[in-house]
Amino acid sequence: MADQLATASQRGLRPALPLLLPAYLWLTVAIFLPLSAMVFFSFMTDLPLAGKEWAFTLGNYAAFFSQSLYSTLLFASLRLGLEVTLWCVVIGYPAAYVLAKVLKGRSREAIFLLVILPFWSNGLVRIFSWAMVLREGGILDTALNAVLPFKINIDLMYSYPAVIIGLVHSYVPYMVLTCYLTLQAIDDSLIEAGRSLGASRRQVLWRVIIPLSMPGLIAGSALIFVPVVGSFMEPRILGGRTGTFYGTVIEDQFVAVFNWPLGAALSFILLAVVLIILALAAPVLRRAG
Amino acid sequence: MAGVQVANVSRSFGAHKALDDVSIDFADGGFYALLGPSGSGKTTLLRQIAGFDFPDAGRIAIGGESVERVPVEKRRIGMVFQNYALFPNMSVADNVAFGLSVRGEAKATIAAEVQRALELVQLGKLGGRRPHQLSGGQRQRVALARAIVTKPRVLLLDEPLGALDKALRVDMQIELKRIQREIGITTIFVTHDQEEALTMSDRIGILRDGRLVQEGPPEEIYDRPQSEFAATFLGDANIFRGDAIGNGIRLQDGTTINAASGASVPAGAKASCAVRPERIQISTGAAKPDSANANTLKGQVSKRIFAGNNSTYFVDRDGQTLKVIVQNTGAERLAEGEPVVLSWSPDSTVLIAAA
Amino acid sequence: MGTTRILEWLGRFYIVLLLGFLYLPIIIMAAMSFNASPFYQLPFEWTTDWYASLWQNDQLIAATWNSIEIAVITTIISTVLGAMASLALYRYEFRGKKVLQALLFPPIAIPWLITGTAMLIFFFGVGIGRGLIAILLGHVALALPYVIVVVSARLQTFAPELEEAARSLGANQWQVTMRVTLPWIMPGVIAGGLFAFAVSFDQFVVSYFLSTPGQTTLPVEIYAAIRKGFTPEINAVSTIIIVVSMALMLLTARFFKFGGEK
Repeated sequence: MADQLATASQRGLRPALPLLLPAYLWLTVAIFLPLSAMVFFSFMTDLPLAGKEWAFTLGNYAAFFSQSLYSTLLFASLRLGLEVTLWCVVIGYPAAYVLAKVLKGRSREAIFLLVILPFWSNGLVRIFSWAMVLREGGILDTALNAVLPFKINIDLMYSYPAVIIGLVHSYVPYMVLTCYLTLQAIDDSLIEAGRSLGASRRQVLWRVIIPLSMPGLIAGSALIFVPVVGSFMEPRILGGRTGTFYGTVIEDQFVAVFNWPLGAALSFILLAVVLIILALAAPVLRRAG
Repeated sequence: MAGVQVANVSRSFGAHKALDDVSIDFADGGFYALLGPSGSGKTTLLRQIAGFDFPDAGRIAIGGESVERVPVEKRRIGMVFQNYALFPNMSVADNVAFGLSVRGEAKATIAAEVQRALELVQLGKLGGRRPHQLSGGQRQRVALARAIVTKPRVLLLDEPLGALDKALRVDMQIELKRIQREIGITTIFVTHDQEEALTMSDRIGILRDGRLVQEGPPEEIYDRPQSEFAATFLGDANIFRGDAIGNGIRLQDGTTINAASGASVPAGAKASCAVRPERIQISTGAAKPDSANANTLKGQVSKRIFAGNNSTYFVDRDGQTLKVIVQNTGAERLAEGEPVVLSWSPDSTVLIAAA
Repeated sequence: MGTTRILEWLGRFYIVLLLGFLYLPIIIMAAMSFNASPFYQLPFEWTTDWYASLWQNDQLIAATWNSIEIAVITTIISTVLGAMASLALYRYEFRGKKVLQALLFPPIAIPWLITGTAMLIFFFGVGIGRGLIAILLGHVALALPYVIVVVSARLQTFAPELEEAARSLGANQWQVTMRVTLPWIMPGVIAGGLFAFAVSFDQFVVSYFLSTPGQTTLPVEIYAAIRKGFTPEINAVSTIIIVVSMALMLLTARFFKFGGEK
């Protein structure tokens, strides 16, 4: 054991500093300081710009609690996050299972890449592509009309289901990825052992595979839930008037209403919720990662 | 070329004391083995000499110059790693040339030196190959060539032959010894294989739990171990424990064992006697012992192992199993269960003080 | 055994369905970009007019140049800084290392809405304001963690003895890095760079908040156009973007295998 300790890497922060400083300095200026600034400003009445009067206040936070609009929208966003995450689990997990256990070799690599590829392309464009499909006179409409004997008017656009579909489409590859990594690590011999002990396929699934897949499921859920709760672009494009969520309200504060301190406060509340969720999932994420 | 002096070196990692007040003098031009079980600190010591780590206390000098705070790249040592550590993206020639090229030597000089080094390790024609195209033994030799081409003051080897199979290992042992004699460089190599240490080195340092147990030429340690650990780690030994009396010990049952050499132990103190299996004569009761003051014991053969040119007898005596090795010279073989007489000379016995 | 075969085929069929779900909208969007009707009406009539009209759209072209410029600069900066940081995290042990590693998560984990608006506030407060510089600042910060993760993963496959061997031969830290470490981690660095480019080029949320008229990026322009109404011109530019993004990702995959394989 002493031999292993003896071969440990070089010690000391000093030689590491010049290599670390540039990157972390940048992160401080661009991420950590702004986040702190946001917290700071959320306690103000107005931005301290030239000429404007400003004072410290809890008014912005009070607004959240006093006006039911904000908490309602927060819950709506949380609900949206939950629904999208659940759909991603239902759709993504079986796909991950097939990829990990059924497909092998070259085809597995290729299919895996195909599933992941859209995920890394432009999210905005993918949402727009759904608009093409879901709108009245869009492809879905036309295709169904061509097939069905009666005229049907599918106008999914500007509705809650449209937002869900768009978000699931955007984020399901995340779930496939995390579940795939976890499932791949499950030894086939565990499944065979279960079967040899007399368990049916369903029992093996429920009692062996799914519990072992938990890290992947939880990791994927956290990675999906968090961005969805803060989304505003997808609701705006696909949801129209029904697409008002917590994220869109925050966006409004910055681009329309110009009540930045309120926006900051609402943002911080969202950040707190997000951090709590991440903290809960962190132990599992660390093991999975 | 230079000698290495290690004086009172200690090193701890957290609560674990990896080296405890170790002092060894490695003379210029010698071939040294650091021997010990895993965790003994031998690799830690090697890395201290190399400069990858610095001691908490003590001095290390190379060629008289204190280097205990000097980082490895400035110590002018050559090192061969256990897994060879050849640079995968470079050819064999570029690997060997690396040390010269980071020094800024001229291209022509480098090419000439590299070729000489490769020929020294008998790989003269393989300069253009890549490491992954070489066998284990060949990679070994490239690693060696790379380490010596810069004419370092000391050559350090960390279990260099561990990854090779038996036949190759023996070949490489001979090779290493030949090369070392040819260039005359102070060489320190770490191994857990006592046979390797015995055959290759001029002097051996045995380490255990961070302490130097014994240091000296192989024959000296083998014939005169100073501790039970040294006696049993380097070769086999039969150990008798009892109370010291004059030149020997008295066992619990009253038998005395005489030793002609070893530590001086005050009478009555706890002590041990060690004797090598090949020094014991074994015979049926009828035969006479060689000399008057020979040590004799009676026992019973519990097992016999035939190994071609020799046989090993395990003899039970008074709750202890003794080991005797005899050459198969055609003398009568003894059967299991047979009562026998063991005798050996006090010259073959070493008195060891209790730890 | 029969049930297994049936289930396996069902599984494969399911994957096909999933791939259909993932790609159909994109294919349709791309198809519509070649359709003459400005209102997306069928029957299908082939044209490349919409692509042609893109060249006339000065605003879009300016935004595209901005996107590319920012992405290139982001890639260079984040790759260099990220590789340096990865090397330091790999080579050295020190107190607080775990904290530093944990600090890489916030930029990725925190919703971009929050980081974007926070940047907006802070940059305004310190006088950087909005615009291309602000966007660049933001993009590098977002790309850095990805570069570090990718390069660090590649460093995991790098035997530490190689650096030690180089040092034992007299190389100083710079020589070790340049001649031994860098050649090995180059695939990881390239993958990280491609990642950074993709992160920057596709970035919408942060760019959106940090944009100002005249200093926008392509996704921001597309969003503005979508809010005004759907036109096949949007389909055209979107198709181009998606093809570029996917090509980039395929390139990255060649350098860096995802899914834990190899």
